[in-house]
Amino acid sequence: MNDVVIDIDNVSFSYGEVSVLEDITFKIYEDEFIGIIGPNAGGKSTLLKLILGLLKPNRGVISKFKYNGEILTNNIGYVSQHSTFPRDFPITVGEVVMMGHIATSSKFFHYSKKEIELAEQAMQRLEIQDIEKRKVGELSGGQLQRVLIARELVCQPEILILDEPTANVDMRIEEDIFSLLKNYSEHMTIIVVSHDIAFISSYVDRVACLNKTLVCHSTESISGKMIEELYDAPVKMIHHHH
Amino acid sequence: MNEFVTALIEFTFLQNAIFACLLASVGCGIIGTYIVVKKISFLTGGIAHSVLAGMGMAYFYNASPIMGAIIAALVSSIMIGWINLRWKEHEDVLIAAFWSAGMAIGILFLSRTPGYNVDLMSYLFGNILMITHSDLSLMFLLDMIVIAFVFVYYKHFLVSVYDEEFARLRGINTELFYILLLCLISITIVILIQLVGLIMVIALLTLPAAIASQYVTSLHKMFLLSAVICALISITGVSISFGPDLPTGSVIVLTACCAYFFSVVLKQILSSK
Ligand SMILES: Nc1ncnc2c1ncn2[C@@H]1O[C@H](COP(=O)(O)OP(=O)(O)O)[C@@H](O)[C@H]1O
Ligand SMILES: [Mg+2]
Repeated sequence: MNDVVIDIDNVSFSYGEVSVLEDITFKIYEDEFIGIIGPNAGGKSTLLKLILGLLKPNRGVISKFKYNGEILTNNIGYVSQHSTFPRDFPITVGEVVMMGHIATSSKFFHYSKKEIELAEQAMQRLEIQDIEKRKVGELSGGQLQRVLIARELVCQPEILILDEPTANVDMRIEEDIFSLLKNYSEHMTIIVVSHDIAFISSYVDRVACLNKTLVCHSTESISGKMIEELYDAPVKMIHHHH
Repeated sequence: MNEFVTALIEFTFLQNAIFACLLASVGCGIIGTYIVVKKISFLTGGIAHSVLAGMGMAYFYNASPIMGAIIAALVSSIMIGWINLRWKEHEDVLIAAFWSAGMAIGILFLSRTPGYNVDLMSYLFGNILMITHSDLSLMFLLDMIVIAFVFVYYKHFLVSVYDEEFARLRGINTELFYILLLCLISITIVILIQLVGLIMVIALLTLPAAIASQYVTSLHKMFLLSAVICALISITGVSISFGPDLPTGSVIVLTACCAYFFSVVLKQILSSK
């Protein structure tokens, strides 16, 4: 068994009076590819923000470790569900991707050869090198999502967290993005939130179902019964064929 | 126009005015860019008007009004920034309070200062034709401060302004850069006060950058283009106002507004083709 990288121990969280997560206990291991599913407002995004340290749990602790066992403080890649930046901002794709270096980069305008190289690699792998000079505000949903993933990949994080990265893209791009993530997950711990249960279960190693509490987590494929339990309603399983 | 050029060669006060336009354009281009992309022009207006408190006090205590302006601008930008970071949902009310309180304090102090002072009018509405060499040196110094901070921390400002959550996750102290940006804004306000006065400062801090933003793909290009536009607008304003002896600040502001509307229409025509 690989080492634990994220240890969520009995965590509860509420926004003011409204309890959103209760008694979540969950361990995530090195190089795992985890899918988190659950109904809307089930607390998926909140759990990710707790893991990232953007929110603090009311109860319980979340510990994060580097691959060498040390305590991890930052260097977690994160693509949020709702990007907050203004669409009309004058900035190019290349500039956004280069931002990935900000934590370690020098002052002034200059970037080192190594930094530029890493950014070019990331852009190539996400097939966005052709749009490097384009303004970010003019991109399609799928292109933007790839730019944001590339920005996280340039600094080679050990953990990558994505919150519904394919909510606004069509099926083909969704498949592209997930096969790419699958590749990266060989040497990276990846947590991804998705709506599409049947779709992600063919990519991820393990699925966690979240609806205020952690309803289930399983390595086996998910049964209709578990989904009913999760959504409190009968659900038709939709099978995707690839 | 010819008359203006002859006068320009002849009179040093006109040459000083043109220098002032150029110096103001540097700060205006760089800081105006941040104000426009971060959409904080109302906040900037608040800082600009609260400057009157510092000037009023300076008159009352017989100190240098421009020093009073610098101190008041810095104090109010740090206070607005600090409260705003903890109390985001009341931002507009907070700004309105600072805006009016600053002016009220200024006027209270002025009412207790004996004698009516013409200088005050020029700080409120600008009087570029009376600019002195020491004013120009001060503008130069303030420009250098703005340039130094923005060039050294270009990447940090960019990422904090563009995507705050991302910046925070990467360990950037976004609150510090926010307050620092507001301080640079207040310095730029002081640079511009001599040109158009504190009441109309907001026009030069937003319109040239807003024009530029329609045509650029990167922040550093926007610095450059807005600085050029700001220089063209202010020099045009000076030359128009000189002949018929109109208030220069007002003419500069109206020139900026016309340029802005013209560019919006032009952009519409270009993009509908
Ligand atoms: N910033 C916030 N303030 C107050 N309530 C919030 C906030 N963010 C989310 N919530 C509430 O917390 C619950 C869980 O939200 P979220 O974690 O976004 O769910 P999911 O990502 O699973 O759709 C929802 O009921 C939502 O309304
Ligand atoms: Mg969500």
